Amino acid sequence: MTTLATPPEESVDAPARTVASAAPRRRRRRAGRVTAAGPLTYLLLALTTLVSVFPLYWTMVAGSHTNAEIAATPPPFLPDADLFTNIGRAMEEAPIGLAIVNSVVVAGCITVGTVLCCTLAGFAFAKLRFRGNGVLLGLVIGTMMVPTQLAIIPLFILIAELQWVDHLQAVVLPTLVSAFGVFFMRQFLTQALPDELLEAGRVDGASTWRIFWSIVVPVARPAMAVLAMLTFLTAWNDFFWPIIALTTNNPTVQVALAGLGGGYVPDRAVIMAGTLVGTLPVLVVFVVLGKQIVGGIMQGAVKG
Amino acid sequence: MATVTFEQATRIYPRADRPAVDTLDLAIGDGELLVLVGPSGCGKSTSLRMLAGLEEVDAGSIRIGDRDVTDSPPKDRDIAMVFQNYALYPHMTVAENMGFALRIAGVGKADIGRRVAEAARILDLEPYLARRPKALSGGQRQRVAMGRAIVRQPQVFLMDEPLSNLDAKLRVQTRTQIAALQRRLVVTTVYVTHDQVEAMTMGDRVAVLKDGVLQQCDAPGTLYDRPANTFVAGFIGSPAMNVVTGPGVDGGVRLGGAVLPVPRERLARASAGSGRITVGFRPEAVDLRAGDGVPVVVDVVEQLGSDACLYATLGAADDGDVLHTADLVVRTEPRSAPAVGEPVTLRVREDHLHVFDPVTQLRVD
Ligand SMILES: Nc1ncnc2c1ncn2[C@@H]1O[C@H](COP(=O)(O)OP(=O)(O)OP(=O)(O)O)[C@@H](O)[C@H]1O
Ligand SMILES: [Mg+2]
Repeated sequence: MTTLATPPEESVDAPARTVASAAPRRRRRRAGRVTAAGPLTYLLLALTTLVSVFPLYWTMVAGSHTNAEIAATPPPFLPDADLFTNIGRAMEEAPIGLAIVNSVVVAGCITVGTVLCCTLAGFAFAKLRFRGNGVLLGLVIGTMMVPTQLAIIPLFILIAELQWVDHLQAVVLPTLVSAFGVFFMRQFLTQALPDELLEAGRVDGASTWRIFWSIVVPVARPAMAVLAMLTFLTAWNDFFWPIIALTTNNPTVQVALAGLGGGYVPDRAVIMAGTLVGTLPVLVVFVVLGKQIVGGIMQGAVKG
Repeated sequence: MATVTFEQATRIYPRADRPAVDTLDLAIGDGELLVLVGPSGCGKSTSLRMLAGLEEVDAGSIRIGDRDVTDSPPKDRDIAMVFQNYALYPHMTVAENMGFALRIAGVGKADIGRRVAEAARILDLEPYLARRPKALSGGQRQRVAMGRAIVRQPQVFLMDEPLSNLDAKLRVQTRTQIAALQRRLVVTTVYVTHDQVEAMTMGDRVAVLKDGVLQQCDAPGTLYDRPANTFVAGFIGSPAMNVVTGPGVDGGVRLGGAVLPVPRERLARASAGSGRITVGFRPEAVDLRAGDGVPVVVDVVEQLGSDACLYATLGAADDGDVLHTADLVVRTEPRSAPAVGEPVTLRVREDHLHVFDPVTQLRVD
């Protein structure tokens, strides 16, 4: 991830600079309609941002009041001082600290596994000649049409046999590869990786394995970043299978949150405070990696 | 350094109805620069890729030196290849691109650095060693591709139209550089091009392919002076050789109401089967206004400065016997060129007349 930092920054910054310097000249020639955003655009963007940010803001507002205050009409619109009390109560009610660690481990393992396996499989399907290539790819894509719910019971029986209930591997292992990821990487590599590059590698004496690491992975990097982001989010937010395979003794974030505020009257303030804490790591990932992820997407779009 | 031998090498692509390369027999000498030339789709790239190990050999064999490499993977063949679009690794710098093969081969860091620097010096790439390929011009990329090949010090260089992405001027300049470099390094080289001028200027020998079949493999001069069949005759040389078929008569071939003289035995052998005869003559092997001769009418005159090209049709084309009615091309002195529409007669210098059998299309001597 650190090596990813430099090239996208170049390619994102460079066009931005040229646009910035070209814009005034264009506007003077009254031909800047396409590049200069009008007030309507700003308004729409502002509205969209507001709508997107509001739930998060409300979570914070609600999490910093008492349950009674939230229920009042009109509801409060500014944060209050009870946030840390609420967080404290949430942490008492459920092992949220452990849940975050678990979720980081689970989502991290799933992301690394999925990106690696899907890139390998996608490369094989896109560029290697082998018998049954088409049929196998069809089968892989076909599994996307099988609903998750259908597999849950046999999967649970299997996990129970292995005595993995309440162990993290029960959540990690079944989702280490995704059909979508394989398909996504195959599509990307089919068009972004010229055959000559692989042939050059073979003539240079590289084994298929070496070609994968030294040539395919660098080319696939933008797509891998996108897939990593999507996979991490999905894994972090997954609820259905974790709540079956895990208990509140060893939960992921979503499982822990489900156990919050479960009195006769649900304490929404505590739930909101817990949710806020549970969402924070994802936000941090985005703030830290956001530029690189966007850069990755941009790079793929320009080159691909 | 090594020789390269194709023996009856054949490649049939899956689901193709005829071979892309058909029983190719070719022996390339140690240190020789052999050019494979032919029209698009004739199997040049396929032949080269068979030698590289990127394409299967369905029948026959290929040897590099004494080793039979027919079934070896590319990495065991000790070859280096320059691709048409260069195929530089986009995420590596110029130096890394050139050193990649050495790194895989386990050559020491210092050694790699030395060899890359040496290649960069030869190719004038020193200022660019730290750049990525996308920050280079087309000509520079081409040189990096060359550099990647020469640092390997392989037994054979393979080049598939390495100049086709350059503009015309740079192409001429680079082709002399490549030829000079090859002579200096003395590495056996197979060079593919569809440009016959490139083939003639660069090759020690030139192999002409058509529809996957080798037509002729000879030194450029021989190819020009003694083409083995009508295809080679028409393909090599610009403007192309005039190739005309007419009925064989006593003393020659009848063209446009006149008789073009053809030596007796050649006439007899060429027209034995069909009574017809095919003759060919280069545009510059013609004397104009030489009294009796083949009458033609000039349609277009192209002044090139150093000489003029006349495009003409056979004059009294009353006999429906002329099979190739295409224009004749004559190269002549610019000052004395006839005007458009002027009827002239042309006579072919005897020792420059090529005779072909109209059925087999083969040369008759
Ligand atoms: N992968 C392939 N599968 C099937 N047929 C192919 C394949 N590659 C090439 N061919 C066919 O084989 C023949 C020879 O192709 P080849 O690429 O060797 O031609 P070429 O002489 O290099 O032409 P060009 O000058 O256009 O590059 C062509 O008729 C082509 O259609
Ligand atoms: Mg080709």
